[in-house]
Amino acid sequence: MNRYKKDRIYFWIFLAPALLSFIVVVIIPFFMGIFYSMTDWTAIAGLKPNWVGLENYKEMFSDLAFQYSFMRTFLFTLLSVLSINFVALAFAFLVTRETKLKNFYRAGFFIPNLIGGLVLGYIWQFIFKNVVPAIGSLLGIEAMEKVLILADPTLALFGLIFAFTWQYAGYIMMIYVAALLNVPQELIEASELDGAGPWHKFWNIIVPMIAQAFTITSFLTLVNSFKQYDIIRALTNGGPTTQFNDVVVNSTEMLAVHIYNVAFKYNNMAEGQARAIIFFLILSIVAMTQVYVNKKREVEM
Amino acid sequence: MKKFLALLLVMVLALTLFTGCGSSDEDESVVIYQNKVEINDQLMAFATKYEEETGVKVTVKTSGGDSPYAENLKAEFQSDRQPDIFVIEGMGGYNTWESKLATFSGDEWIDLTALEFTVDGKIYGFPVAVEAWGMAYNAELLAKAGVDPATLTSQEAYKAAFAKIDGMKDELGIKSVVAMAAGPDMRWVTGLHNFNGYLSAGLEYGDTTVLDKLNNGEPDMDRLTEYADWVELLFMYSDEAVLLTGNYDAQVGQFGTQQSVFVHQGNWIDPWLNENGVDFEMGYAPHASVYGEHNSIFIGAPSYYVINNEGENQEAAKAFLNYMATNKDGHDYMVNEAKMIPAFTNVTLKPDAPLSANVTEWLAKDAKYTWLQNDMPDGFGMGTIAPLYESFAKGDLTKAEFIEQLANKIKELK
Repeated sequence: MNRYKKDRIYFWIFLAPALLSFIVVVIIPFFMGIFYSMTDWTAIAGLKPNWVGLENYKEMFSDLAFQYSFMRTFLFTLLSVLSINFVALAFAFLVTRETKLKNFYRAGFFIPNLIGGLVLGYIWQFIFKNVVPAIGSLLGIEAMEKVLILADPTLALFGLIFAFTWQYAGYIMMIYVAALLNVPQELIEASELDGAGPWHKFWNIIVPMIAQAFTITSFLTLVNSFKQYDIIRALTNGGPTTQFNDVVVNSTEMLAVHIYNVAFKYNNMAEGQARAIIFFLILSIVAMTQVYVNKKREVEM
Repeated sequence: MKKFLALLLVMVLALTLFTGCGSSDEDESVVIYQNKVEINDQLMAFATKYEEETGVKVTVKTSGGDSPYAENLKAEFQSDRQPDIFVIEGMGGYNTWESKLATFSGDEWIDLTALEFTVDGKIYGFPVAVEAWGMAYNAELLAKAGVDPATLTSQEAYKAAFAKIDGMKDELGIKSVVAMAAGPDMRWVTGLHNFNGYLSAGLEYGDTTVLDKLNNGEPDMDRLTEYADWVELLFMYSDEAVLLTGNYDAQVGQFGTQQSVFVHQGNWIDPWLNENGVDFEMGYAPHASVYGEHNSIFIGAPSYYVINNEGENQEAAKAFLNYMATNKDGHDYMVNEAKMIPAFTNVTLKPDAPLSANVTEWLAKDAKYTWLQNDMPDGFGMGTIAPLYESFAKGDLTKAEFIEQLANKIKELK
């Protein structure tokens, strides 16, 4: 047995467990899912699913609740990507400056990320429902005392983005911190000698140098906002209701929550599966476009 | 080569380790998979006692509360860990699990109850407990306000009483007359329980005409209009914050802390009240969901134990249920330990929790309206119509629009 052949065998042996489990838990269910999305499957043991073709997909696109959920998900994703990255970058600048206790701040900003989404959702629910009115009455501001953040579609969306940013910005900050520490000091000094102000330094030196981090952070925030489920479930549970084309819909029922509801609340497993497949396709397209665009802007040292 | 062999050996060993977990020989034991987290410990204790008495092991598995039982049950079946006894909730559950259900016949408990679950004359379900809801009232506050709960039998009576109590808010120290919740976390209160008034209030027990029409996509416009008045009345005298964003704790808490006189909840709030040291006198008044006089509250068995017809221990499972209904240990477990109201006439023990005790009085008078909320199509109550209540409560929908949209949703069921 020659060296090359032996290496190949080792390669496959080491790969086998991971590959096998990947095939069993991801690849096979994925194709099963595509099959089930074209049936009237209800997940009851012993009942054979019947083939219905593209019926579930047609149903989906004519469902106003789905259309609305779709638009809201894009809006939520866009706003949270902006807000998380902005906050994270601002934090990253703060904690890479020579301040006392900078490690303390880094840890502090990061810790919310260690709290699970459900717990965090309930915490913020408590804050929005009880703490905000209490502060309002303490300060004597009646508008703040009376406000029902989680009963107003717009405020509830912002509340959701706020809670998500609070959770996720610390993690994204860490990526920016690593990138900022890697920006060569010589470049910045050279630009200072050339008379660059803070804005020029930021825009022409730092941003291009951390473009790689932007690719990663925007990918992570985009995908995670799009898939958001647990914070929504705990904080707003899809509500409050609002009107869309004269139909009452749930204003924060993002796609992941919507799919869950269709599949489990209405017991339409197959329809939920069809929606999940569309969800997957759209998320892949959006995410790949984003990575492609960001990659083009990265600079090589 | 040697190294390669060694590696292979290690891999094989690792594999056998994994497969080792898969199978193990189990003694004969009845597996009961149930959905009430709050009685898990009590049921386990009863199962242990049962094993001591009869030698048959009963394993209790529970999922419920916030974790969705129906979904988990499907997972159990998919994963081949089929329970011998599981729980269904009315016709909806029957339609889902029809192919898996065994029938009961000749068991002693069948003659002791009127609430067993039957379809086409065949008995499929053992009633777990009796539950009920109406307008739960705080007797002390009502007395202070000079309202006799016995007079609360129609929408006019409620209207007058609510207006009177509302005028005495400061005297009584309440925030609002009714503790009602219609927010995103409380859709079962509006979409299922409140809406059940439309389906069965004022009708004979067991009358399903309105439900049958609903399932065929036909709304009863007169009833809907009358019913909308009731919803409006409840919403009008509720606290806005609790109504729109409140959760279970907020709603029950408002009643428990005497900040409201009424609460739209069932006797399942007893444990909550007990844990939080609530000890004022309370009882139930009927819902006046439609026009006319009302003298009954909504009583039913919310869930049934059913037998898996592919289970290996069907007889043992049936014996266990029969023991629960006929033996005094079973009665003690149901009434004193699990704090439930048994559906069986041979039980002489009385619950000590205030609302449950009140329910037994209604039950004894046979003053009951049917539970039909679980017989609507899946998701209709909580998913389809409950958001309408929230929009109505917020004022996004007028009463006319509320009625119209509710009727449209029913028509879509065709």
